[in-house]
Amino acid sequence: MPSPALLVAVPLIVAALLGALRKLIPRWVADLAAVLTAAGNLAIACWWMAHALHRTQVYWFGGWFPRGRMALGIGFTMDGYGCGLAALAALLTTLALIFSWKHFESAGGHFHPLMLVFLAAMSGFAVSGDIFNLFVFFELMSTAAFALCGLKTQEPAPLAGAFNFAVTNSVAAFLMLTGIALLYSATGALNLAQIGLALEGRHDRLVIAAFAFLTTGFLVKAAEFPFHFWLPDAHSVSPTPVCVLFSGIMVQLGLFGAMRVYATVFQGCFAGTGVPWLFVAIGAVTALWGGMMCFAEHHLKRLLAFSTISHTGLMTLAFGVWTKAALAGLFVYLVAHGLVKAGLFFCAGILLHRFETMSEPALFGKGRSLRWTAPLWFLGGLGLAAAPGFALWAGETHVTDGAPWAEAIFFIAGAMTGAAVLRVGLRVFAGLGDAGPVDRSAKVDEKPETTDAGRRLSPVLYAPAVVCVGGCMALAFWKGTMRVAEAAAASFMDFRGYAHMVYAGAIVVQQPVAPHDLLTRGIISAVLRALAAVAVALWAVLHLRVPRELRWPSHLEGPMRPVRELQSGHPGDYVAWLTLGCAVVGVAALWLGL
Amino acid sequence: MTLPADYPYFIAAWILLCGLYGIVRSRHLVHMVISLTVVQSSTYVLLLAIGFRQGGYAPVFAGLHTGVKVVDPIVQALMLTDVVVETTVVALLLAMVVKAHEKSGTTSPDDLRFLRG
Repeated sequence: MPSPALLVAVPLIVAALLGALRKLIPRWVADLAAVLTAAGNLAIACWWMAHALHRTQVYWFGGWFPRGRMALGIGFTMDGYGCGLAALAALLTTLALIFSWKHFESAGGHFHPLMLVFLAAMSGFAVSGDIFNLFVFFELMSTAAFALCGLKTQEPAPLAGAFNFAVTNSVAAFLMLTGIALLYSATGALNLAQIGLALEGRHDRLVIAAFAFLTTGFLVKAAEFPFHFWLPDAHSVSPTPVCVLFSGIMVQLGLFGAMRVYATVFQGCFAGTGVPWLFVAIGAVTALWGGMMCFAEHHLKRLLAFSTISHTGLMTLAFGVWTKAALAGLFVYLVAHGLVKAGLFFCAGILLHRFETMSEPALFGKGRSLRWTAPLWFLGGLGLAAAPGFALWAGETHVTDGAPWAEAIFFIAGAMTGAAVLRVGLRVFAGLGDAGPVDRSAKVDEKPETTDAGRRLSPVLYAPAVVCVGGCMALAFWKGTMRVAEAAAASFMDFRGYAHMVYAGAIVVQQPVAPHDLLTRGIISAVLRALAAVAVALWAVLHLRVPRELRWPSHLEGPMRPVRELQSGHPGDYVAWLTLGCAVVGVAALWLGL
Repeated sequence: MTLPADYPYFIAAWILLCGLYGIVRSRHLVHMVISLTVVQSSTYVLLLAIGFRQGGYAPVFAGLHTGVKVVDPIVQALMLTDVVVETTVVALLLAMVVKAHEKSGTTSPDDLRFLRG
């Protein structure tokens, strides 16, 4: 049985060694050590995923078991949901490190240690059963992320992006710590299960204030409206492998933090109140906002960043629905989205490597020679639209079952983000229509992040994208996907079982629920959504050939201008939005929860 | 005049708001980083206020018998962790400010807005 502590300890130790020896060891040793470490994490997380799926287990560090109702030690909770996310983090890190093999600029050897620290923090965050450790891993994850984001210190733009990212996320961490302090003052506990048991049924102002602070802190990381402003800035300047981790897993881990704390601490307090609707509302607004901004964008990485915001909004909506089926759908949607988005970022990385630009107009028609990247990109676009054959579709069907309003939001957000990606594909790889408008963000130029002077395309650049897109399609066709997700969701929601297991170490066996067959019902809307995405993309690309009265909003240029101005690039504005959002969350929780 | 027992909480809230105001209205990146540490100070005050016991001793049991009332050592440990973590972040942010000044010759957040729209 591999110890869960290895998930955090091994990457940290290897990172320390690589950092200390970075001037002495050749590049290939650093590459190999980092890839092997990440792959090891993947193996451990998968092992635990398989063993803890039906019976959650708690690992107490140093054998400090609880005495009575008092949790003395620090525990890792190995359950299906957490281990699944740790496995996704390890998989994406492995692929990102393979993508950066040999040619990727390593910023004086700092790249590999930072990636491994980032991985350790994400793994620890996913399985931590202690609220203060959640905060520590949150901060460690943030600090590694800030440094990775600003890796290209030769240019001012990455510094500005990393600075905005760092300021907003640090404020979020302090709000979170304030929430933790309030919970500690109310219960004298830091273990999630112990806090949950102590608070059960209590929903006074103190609990609601703690809820508001903690939720805001996590939702900043999850890039929910109006806390999302830092994310496009960070993405448009980050190196490609870092973007993969930001969009594929880090943002979703922020949401997972909010979910974990809600499931274990606040579920008993807010049972029967309207508080989950708060997440539905935030998620719906974010999904639509992100979808529109994504379609209006012309910088490839920034466009994909807005699509991440939109899809994480959809996941937040699924979280607010708070049924077993919705949480199972959310789990599948999260993993599938992580894979598709990673695949798209790898494709963008190939374009950046080959053509040294990320601007849609500048790339117009240049991708005709890239025969392998084009199909991956188009498949990724269809995947974002949750077309049949991608696991996002299976997840979506479970979330929106019996809720037509949720289906409408999934339809619009999926079609908009899918259309934006397909539009870029038609322009870049097929050279269809015209180059499209040039806007300010498309002019953010990027220096090449790879050192290969010949700009050749080696297989290590393609392999990760193939694994990602192929993996997402395989998940849709594998019969076990929904069964695993339902088991993970059932134990994740079961607060009593969780607390029981933390204290008694008892094995709570979840009876697997037979997944109902929703796919045949959801297929019509999935096909329609994919067709809508293709139609909108074609309309945008060929907008000069459509009748004049249909032409004006083809890129949402006019109507979106005032909205896009809100994305001001000034960290002070972002923090103002954050403060306002925190106040709104607090007032709404008071209104819904008291 | 005696202060109400919960006045440290109001001080923590006030410091939090001062720090946030400082970040929002900042015109210099170093000022913004320092405002961030002001926001952080509010969490120190809050944590210490939560752990405080009227008439309690410092939680060092050398020379004290175990029945003595002491202040809560856990929040002090949390605060120390918080200090360590945030020192790292502030060091990183200040390094970025130095680099930004080197590359673009400005330390005003208004002039560093390369990423808009």
